[in-house]
Amino acid sequence: MAEESVGERNRTNTFVLSARKRTMQKAAKTAGEGVLFAVASFVAVIVLFIFYFVARDAVPFFQIRGFSEFFTSSNWYPASDPAEFGALAIIYGSLMVTLGSALIAVPMGVAAAICLSDILPFSIRQYAKPVIEMLAAIPSVAFGFFALVIFAPLMQNNGGPMLMWAWWILVSPFMLLAVIVISDLLTTKIKEQKRRQQLHIFFLIFFGFLSILLLFKVGTVLYGIQILTGTNALNVSIILSFMALPTIVSVSEDALQAVGRDLREGSYALGATRAETIIKTILPAASSGILAAVILGIMRALGETMVVWMASGNSSQIPEPWFNYLQAIRTLTATIAGDMGEADQVTGSARFHVLFAMGLLLLVISFISNLVSERIVVRQRKILSGQ
Amino acid sequence: MNIGTRKILDRSFTAVGIGSIIVMALALMFVVVPIVTNGIGAVFFTGTVEHRKMLFNEFKRGDSQGLSSEVASSDRYRSKVYDMLTGFEAELETMAPEKKKEYKEKYAQVRSAVQALLGPLPGDSTPMLTRFKYGQTRWEKAEEKLHDLLYESKWDNSNPNVMSKEYFVSRAIGFEGTSLVKLFPYVKDNLEKMLLPDFTVYWGFITDSSVDSHFFGGIWPEIQGTFFLAIGAMLFAFPLGVVAAVYFTEYAKPGFLNSMLRSANSTLAGVPSIVFGMFGLAFFINTMKVSESKSVIAGALTLAIMILPTIIRAAEEAILAVPKTYREASLSLGSTKWNTIATVILPAALPGILTGAVISLGRAAGETAPIIFTAAVSVGSAIGLADVFSSPTPALSWNIYNLASEHEAASQIRHVQYGMVLALVSIVLLLNLSAIVLRARISKKLKG
Repeated sequence: MAEESVGERNRTNTFVLSARKRTMQKAAKTAGEGVLFAVASFVAVIVLFIFYFVARDAVPFFQIRGFSEFFTSSNWYPASDPAEFGALAIIYGSLMVTLGSALIAVPMGVAAAICLSDILPFSIRQYAKPVIEMLAAIPSVAFGFFALVIFAPLMQNNGGPMLMWAWWILVSPFMLLAVIVISDLLTTKIKEQKRRQQLHIFFLIFFGFLSILLLFKVGTVLYGIQILTGTNALNVSIILSFMALPTIVSVSEDALQAVGRDLREGSYALGATRAETIIKTILPAASSGILAAVILGIMRALGETMVVWMASGNSSQIPEPWFNYLQAIRTLTATIAGDMGEADQVTGSARFHVLFAMGLLLLVISFISNLVSERIVVRQRKILSGQ
Repeated sequence: MNIGTRKILDRSFTAVGIGSIIVMALALMFVVVPIVTNGIGAVFFTGTVEHRKMLFNEFKRGDSQGLSSEVASSDRYRSKVYDMLTGFEAELETMAPEKKKEYKEKYAQVRSAVQALLGPLPGDSTPMLTRFKYGQTRWEKAEEKLHDLLYESKWDNSNPNVMSKEYFVSRAIGFEGTSLVKLFPYVKDNLEKMLLPDFTVYWGFITDSSVDSHFFGGIWPEIQGTFFLAIGAMLFAFPLGVVAAVYFTEYAKPGFLNSMLRSANSTLAGVPSIVFGMFGLAFFINTMKVSESKSVIAGALTLAIMILPTIIRAAEEAILAVPKTYREASLSLGSTKWNTIATVILPAALPGILTGAVISLGRAAGETAPIIFTAAVSVGSAIGLADVFSSPTPALSWNIYNLASEHEAASQIRHVQYGMVLALVSIVLLLNLSAIVLRARISKKLKG
């Protein structure tokens, strides 16, 4: 600042009249830019503050109890005496619903994004986009209310039939497709036309019969399942996948749009169908962007509070067997939300600090995955924009 | 693969894509339709004379003459029920001891069922809680309670392999041979005359405070709290966000510092909402002491931090969308950079900035997790504008959770919960719809 004003004075010899004014202007400009910069860096300051304040209250927990209990034990009895703070089952519950929702949301979201960017004409796309935006806008507590009051009783009372119908509707088209493709692949090598046709029909009937048998067998098994509680991991996974879908769709649509026309046209020119073009050319080119979309969508599911708090059953145990999605579970976010009110804030008990330890865990996971997805997007943009 | 199979694969690939969009639309319908249809029932429903009595006593609303004539006509039919009950009480005294014991228990159930249906019986002391002062105010609830009166519910546990099933036994059979047996058909036939159901439009659901933790009355304190929090958050976040966006688009030079700031922005956007709540508690309340404990201001600040990245991003996009020619024209007229930004670029970008702001407003109104520890209370009356610095407020999002999961009689006030969810969802969706419309108009305008 001081050097600048010296420079000003030297120059003012030529414009004597406006010297004062110019200095003022320059100072005002610097000050204004400084203010702008200060406001812009406010966000960074907040991020640092969030890390500091969450960590500040999380560290005492590890000082009191050490690391091993938190990550390896699944005995969560914060209120009993002596208290136990094993969060393994809670971390596992979080991972379980996140994985479950990703299994539903990722294939659907990517398929919808492909559809929006490559298949649907513009006139229909106009109406599809607001649907996705509305789905994103519905508050999480409304989804939680839906899961608790409408979906959970529905599941509890008609669990078996619902699972069976879901199996039928979702799997039978793919089964049919697989039968057609497999019988086609098995017969392409045969040269003689008549024998090939006969064999083709034979395979179609054979595999068709097998797949119908499989469909029925699994269907009857599913029909017999009784869901003991409607507030379980499956319920939460389904609702969370609704919430993760909009993020996945919009970010991966951007990634697909970033792949230029020339790649598509080249593929069509070689005689590929639209499906082949998309699967073999566009998806590999956009894969890193789609990966970023998946990470962001998964983070949405992992960090979601209200749905899991209301509809996951809040029972801190690892399900039996470990992949049983029909049992109640408990997640990190729900534990924080539910236990904070009961924990003693003033005396700084381990019970209070353990919740901040959980928050820190969530914060670190979200920070890392954010950085990763950001790097991926930047790298993809660089590659696509000109090697 | 032959051409036919390839074609089939191509078609089915298209079908999967379209199918997943249809599934998303169905999911939206599946969630929204029951909320809307049940939520409307909070305002439009078939109300009974008990509802009108409640309105008159608790809110001093309604016409007293009409009400008293209605009460008189319903009392004419009710008095027979009360007579039957007192008649049976007298009959009980004359019975043999073991028979008396058996009937006494059953009679107590009948009596409480009648109480639930019609309100306190003559001779009862006035109940403490408002919820027991009136009978059923909604006709569909009255029909449920009538079923409770007519039938006793029992559970069938005979088969240990399946879940026990509920089944119903008529209460009238249990009173065969006594004077009370006539009560059941009488109540069943004359319930309409006792409760006088009438189609009711209760706008008070939106503008009234709640009575006796949401058993009666409306949700105004929650709606007001939601507005306070969302608008408060916007007051902090909007100016900061726009200024930061101006810096990022107009002044920032590419480099390490700038990319750090941008990383910070996207990190903040990805922080789980419950962590914002913890931060609000640890920073605004425990460290900064903006208020003694939970308060509107602490909640609004927490929400402001949460929506800040969204506002910055939307404002940046809006500023970048302003055509370059505007800027060049202004600069060539001799205006300074700052002048150009303030008088040319920001006004041109304003609709786009507002679109982002409106969407963020909706997000702030709908979020629950950040206000759990910083601003929300479950029961409370509407607070004045002066109290925002010191007192917490009920808010729609928090109270939906609270009524659905923690209320002591959650299943009895489903209509209130649905009404609240509908109110919240319609506030948020209306904000979003207006943003969509605004955006469509901007893109039309920019196209020329």
